[in-house]
Amino acid sequence: MTKEEIFLGNGAVALGLLEGGCQVLTSYPGTPSSEILPEAIRLIRRENLKTYVEWSTNEKVALDNAFAAAAAGKRAACCMKQVGLNVASDSLMSAAYLGTTGGLVIVSCDDPGPHSSQTEQDTRLMARLAKVPVLDPSSPEEARQMAALALELSEEFSVPVILRPAIRVCHARQGLSPGALKDREGPASFQKDPLRWAATPRYRLVLHGELNRKLEAVRKRFEGLSSHNHHDLEEGRRYPLGIIAGGVPWAVVRDILAEEGRGDLPVLKIGTPFPFPEETARLFMDACDKVLVLEEPDAVIEYFLRDGGKVRGRLSGHVPPQGELVPEVIHGILDRVLREDGLTPLSEPGGKEVRDLVMGLELPVRKPTLCPGCPHRASFFAIRKAWPKAIFTSDIGCYTLGLNQGAVDTCLDMGAAITMASGFYQAYRQDGVEQPVVATIGDSTFYHSGTAGLLNAVYNDARFILVILDNLTTAMTGMQPTPGLGIRADGSRGKAVSLERVVRGCGVDFVEVVDPYDVGAMISLLKEAQAHVRDKGIAVIIARHPCVIAYREEAVPRPIRVTVTEECKECNICLDRFGCPALYHDEELGRTALKPHLCNGCGVCIQVCPKGAIVEA
Amino acid sequence: METINFVVSGLGGQGILFMTKVLAQAALKKGCRVMGAETHGMAQRGGSVVSHLRLGDSKGSLVRTGTAHFLLSLDESEAYRNLPFLAPGGALYANAGPRSFPRGEVRAYLEKKGIRWRAMEATRAAVDLGAPLSSNLALLGFFAGSGEGPMGPRDLEETIEMISPERFRNQNLRVFRAGLESAGGVREPGAMATVGRRASSWPRAPLPAWDA
Repeated sequence: MTKEEIFLGNGAVALGLLEGGCQVLTSYPGTPSSEILPEAIRLIRRENLKTYVEWSTNEKVALDNAFAAAAAGKRAACCMKQVGLNVASDSLMSAAYLGTTGGLVIVSCDDPGPHSSQTEQDTRLMARLAKVPVLDPSSPEEARQMAALALELSEEFSVPVILRPAIRVCHARQGLSPGALKDREGPASFQKDPLRWAATPRYRLVLHGELNRKLEAVRKRFEGLSSHNHHDLEEGRRYPLGIIAGGVPWAVVRDILAEEGRGDLPVLKIGTPFPFPEETARLFMDACDKVLVLEEPDAVIEYFLRDGGKVRGRLSGHVPPQGELVPEVIHGILDRVLREDGLTPLSEPGGKEVRDLVMGLELPVRKPTLCPGCPHRASFFAIRKAWPKAIFTSDIGCYTLGLNQGAVDTCLDMGAAITMASGFYQAYRQDGVEQPVVATIGDSTFYHSGTAGLLNAVYNDARFILVILDNLTTAMTGMQPTPGLGIRADGSRGKAVSLERVVRGCGVDFVEVVDPYDVGAMISLLKEAQAHVRDKGIAVIIARHPCVIAYREEAVPRPIRVTVTEECKECNICLDRFGCPALYHDEELGRTALKPHLCNGCGVCIQVCPKGAIVEA
Repeated sequence: METINFVVSGLGGQGILFMTKVLAQAALKKGCRVMGAETHGMAQRGGSVVSHLRLGDSKGSLVRTGTAHFLLSLDESEAYRNLPFLAPGGALYANAGPRSFPRGEVRAYLEKKGIRWRAMEATRAAVDLGAPLSSNLALLGFFAGSGEGPMGPRDLEETIEMISPERFRNQNLRVFRAGLESAGGVREPGAMATVGRRASSWPRAPLPAWDA
């Protein structure tokens, strides 16, 4: 396979890992990292490789599993989004000290913007905190090269290595020419050494010293790594302004300079922000009167450049402290810096006229919304109707969009629907108030980090209703299987882990399953659950109906043709509390109407209308 | 090779990713270097979705505002929202009523900037063929039929045939061809006076000479 193919950036990461001999690959899905494992599986099948793959139940689990493989001498990697690395950080910090025998790469994908995350945190800072080397690619092709390099470096220096592609690398597409892939030889061979692998605090100090020596050796390697740390200085020439950039901003600024024909502005690319190649940077700094640092999402390179007076970046206020550095933003930053220094500015980008024009058009705000027929919508309608005064704690997944129905009040982190529910309950109970709380969490998120919170709630007698929205998939990130299904990452059969049994195992006495498409049944079950909460303890309802995207036919086996009659009195309950995209307010008819091409025939809206105006056609 | 920039916009669920994939794959087949950027995750649930496609030597995947040669939009409002991407002299293809598109103040701007536009009711065309979710292919056909860009209708059609999932293949091709047909028929006042250069003469300039 030498023909050029278009790869998603995440596919390029997968390709690079396999080219680097990755034998064990684990992941928990999360935008923008989700496609790495599926792309690896595609290549593993195509090339008939033996690489072990798994969707792990969470990121820490993924890292621990990969770490063990690397401790046994294998080349292993785990993939996650940047906030997933928070979950795995307990493992990461310790793994840095213990080191590896084989290779261990942690792929942590950043989300400047943020487009699909809670924070704009910078994985490079996590790498600095954990004291592990980090590579920062600017394109899919470079991500591929760095993925393989990271495995080699990890094995050579016995230290975990982080690969940090940002979203514009992960979700870029680029033509690449993959070479043939083959399995890496080398059986698992764990060498017992309890002093190291089970180190006590006393020996941890020794390991810390070892880690520091490894980092210094890696830094020296990075100084000479001209494929990823390079500049275009001309010997002996002085420059009034130079640019130091890494990751996606490097690619963007190179394009701008090429378009503008600005050979007068040298650029240093930093592909290895930690351990920082100080000598390479000093050489560049010495040739420039001032430097502009372009990096995202946070300042890292800028902190390592010790000559603060010369440096323009986030810390000096020249680069915005939040938000994505898209091309027009970088164009504006560079132009302002050039003007400030009395240098030739960039060409006028224009654009104010058209921005004002678009602003004046008052275009509709496009809020993301649950799909037509989504079972979560039905659940949220029932929850809100049964307990309008409750506090609604929720969690991370498609169902955060229950916001649109007034049925989601909080979203903190994975699993916090449950822990915040118990926190709210206890805070009110302290004052003698029995505040109703309804928590909603998806099936995959529950398996990820729901059980510890649920055990805690049962143990400490927190009382609330927990609704597990079980759509039999991990929908938001692209329909990955969950432990509840018993289908593994590669499609083979695993053991299905029943949600009901897990919940009962946590000590919950009230566990009922309902199909949320039956709104009446769900509402009466919610009322029954509240009685249990009042008298006995926590109640768990599993609202189970397949995702309409993952399971089209099974989700709506007999589509119902729906129509809205003149009985509609414009109460707008269907629009405000249900909010299916197939329903809209028709100004001419003066009532709700249906967009048949969006309707998937779930028929739930028929149960929602208080006037009976939505009927089967 | 000068970079040719495409921006494709619309709403989550309209098949923006597939449309961009067809364009990219067809360009690759033509020997172009391909770089693109996609929207995944939360915004795919009915929000505004934009994808970028750059053919040529670009290092970055994002199109800078004011530099897109083509804006293809599956939704009228999203076409307006993404107008800042278009370069002077660029071209706009929208899923909208050809008689009412574009709104007056937008029309004045486009004329001033030498941006040409064409609109077709891609959703209606797709619905008429019993494939209501395939407006993306209708608009793609409509674009292909105008003879613009480095890849011609034949390249795009072959790519659709190659990358469509089996059960949608014939339907996709039918809708694409319907879009192609309507490109030949629609001539609205203010729309392009002439069809751009054919694929064989592409590309020589960063912006093609539209009036050639």
